Amino acid sequence: MFEINKKSIEHLAELARLKLTEKEQEKFLTDLTSILNHFKELQEVNTDEVRPMTGGTMLKNVTREDEVFTEGHFENVDKLREQFPEQDGGFLKVPPVFYAEDRSALGGE
Amino acid sequence: MHSLHDLTIKKLHEGLLKKEYTALEVAQKFFEYIDSKDREINAYLSLAKDEAYRQAERVDLKIAGDEPVGMLAGAPLAIKDNLLVSGQPMTCASKILEDYRAPYDATVIRKLKGVDAVFLGKTNMDEFAMGSSTETSAFKLTRNPHDLERVPGGSSGGSAAAVSAHMALGALGTDTGGSIRQPASLCGVVGLKPTYGAVSRYGATAMASSLDQIGPFAKTVEDVAILFQAIAGRDQFDATSADPEGGYGNTLFNPELEDIKNLTIGLPEEYFTAGADSEVVKAVEGAIEKIKSLRINFKTIKLPHTKYALSCYYIIMPAEVSANLARFDGIRYGRKDGHAKADNLLDLYKKNRSDGFGQEVKRRIILGTYVLSSGYYDAYYAKAQKVRALIKKDFDEAFKEVDVILTPVSPTTAFKLGEKTADPLTMYLSDIFTIPVNMAGLPAISIPVRGREGLPVGFQLIGKHWREKDILGIGQYYEKISA
Repeated sequence: MFEINKKSIEHLAELARLKLTEKEQEKFLTDLTSILNHFKELQEVNTDEVRPMTGGTMLKNVTREDEVFTEGHFENVDKLREQFPEQDGGFLKVPPVFYAEDRSALGGE
Repeated sequence: MHSLHDLTIKKLHEGLLKKEYTALEVAQKFFEYIDSKDREINAYLSLAKDEAYRQAERVDLKIAGDEPVGMLAGAPLAIKDNLLVSGQPMTCASKILEDYRAPYDATVIRKLKGVDAVFLGKTNMDEFAMGSSTETSAFKLTRNPHDLERVPGGSSGGSAAAVSAHMALGALGTDTGGSIRQPASLCGVVGLKPTYGAVSRYGATAMASSLDQIGPFAKTVEDVAILFQAIAGRDQFDATSADPEGGYGNTLFNPELEDIKNLTIGLPEEYFTAGADSEVVKAVEGAIEKIKSLRINFKTIKLPHTKYALSCYYIIMPAEVSANLARFDGIRYGRKDGHAKADNLLDLYKKNRSDGFGQEVKRRIILGTYVLSSGYYDAYYAKAQKVRALIKKDFDEAFKEVDVILTPVSPTTAFKLGEKTADPLTMYLSDIFTIPVNMAGLPAISIPVRGREGLPVGFQLIGKHWREKDILGIGQYYEKISA
């Protein structure tokens, strides 16, 4: 279960939307192998009856109505849009997602 | 006018009220000094002179008109570059945000503007706050003001160095695993990581949301208390923020010696027996002796799961990092030239992220993706969350016997530039004494051991949830008796 190889690094990079160079792949393989090795020590800890801590506190969620609230904030939504690298008439611009032929733009998987 | 080197936030306030100088003169003096001094330190990534002068002039108008002004009016502050200050750059020291300008103010900034603080500029940091030396910044190498061949610590290294080198009276940083306390310790300034939830994180770039907190740096514990009180409080824009029962009120200042004497301080065996350099242990023991002279009770305690905190942290934090940094996709955030030559969406994502992120960020994204991936989730992420609950339980148990816990902050003094960049695990060990505090959501402060030669060493006071009062109180007395 602690095994990691070059192929898994490639797969993880794909999942994380990263393109790694050959050198990066090798370095990360070495680093991750030693880091994951270090994690082995956690297996010594008995956690059978332990409730996991899933956030910054052990408190339960408090829910509220989901209401749109803009007063005093985001009156100037254009300012947010200005920061988009590419936009057109207030819309985010992205490269093609759909193609006419049977090929997904998401990398043709 | 006082020399910049003697000035504190409190002294500045008194001087302004006595009209010994104006806020504008002070701001000008600071920029003058930064212009020469920061050439060797490299604490700042960007300066905001015009806006700072406008803020200072507003303070001078108020004082001239005999309007009341707060403690922070005119106080020149440095802001870590992962916090939004409207109109100013916010890069997180990453190439992917090189062109980004903040469209609004973080809540902490809005609050500090409300009390007329002056922002000098944005400070260098490890890229996206990932690192312990500020060396992963894509832009600059910040140097430790006490020894230019050494690191200032990190990730808030620019903020710590700016205060240490008298290029600001106070600063804001963020602390996910020690990123305020460790650089404070290495640079010889005071740094506070507040209780999880005490300070709104709206407008802070998220790294690991179950651990991140914003907190202040300053030269004295009292100044840190002033800054903390100004930024604390429940905010409707951060669902994790809250107020302590009854509020902090005036409890953070002028502590009563009688109250302080009644506190019991715990010394966890696990923090003194392994891992720390003898120089550090000796210095911290010196501070303990000083505090003992206040007749505070000390007690040896056990935090048995301490040794697992590092592994636990390096599973939970990268997992959250891999999710939080997914938003940097080249579409909502990215370089203006990032769209060139991408023929499809996947290509665009990969291009922007691969060119925009540095090595440490990529390493943590890959690691986080791994521990969350199907088949490994239970062995790593779920296991780490359970061990985290045990680490918190250790503290809960200890706090039945003691009120405050005292430990070293960093196992070493400031290390040499480049010394730990080759092997990530060595670098990660810099935070072994600070990480457990974030895991448990507790408040903790790093205070320089006073009256010693050589490189600075900090000691850490860890308080119960929402009891910043206790650690700030002991800290203020420590400074009084060791001045």
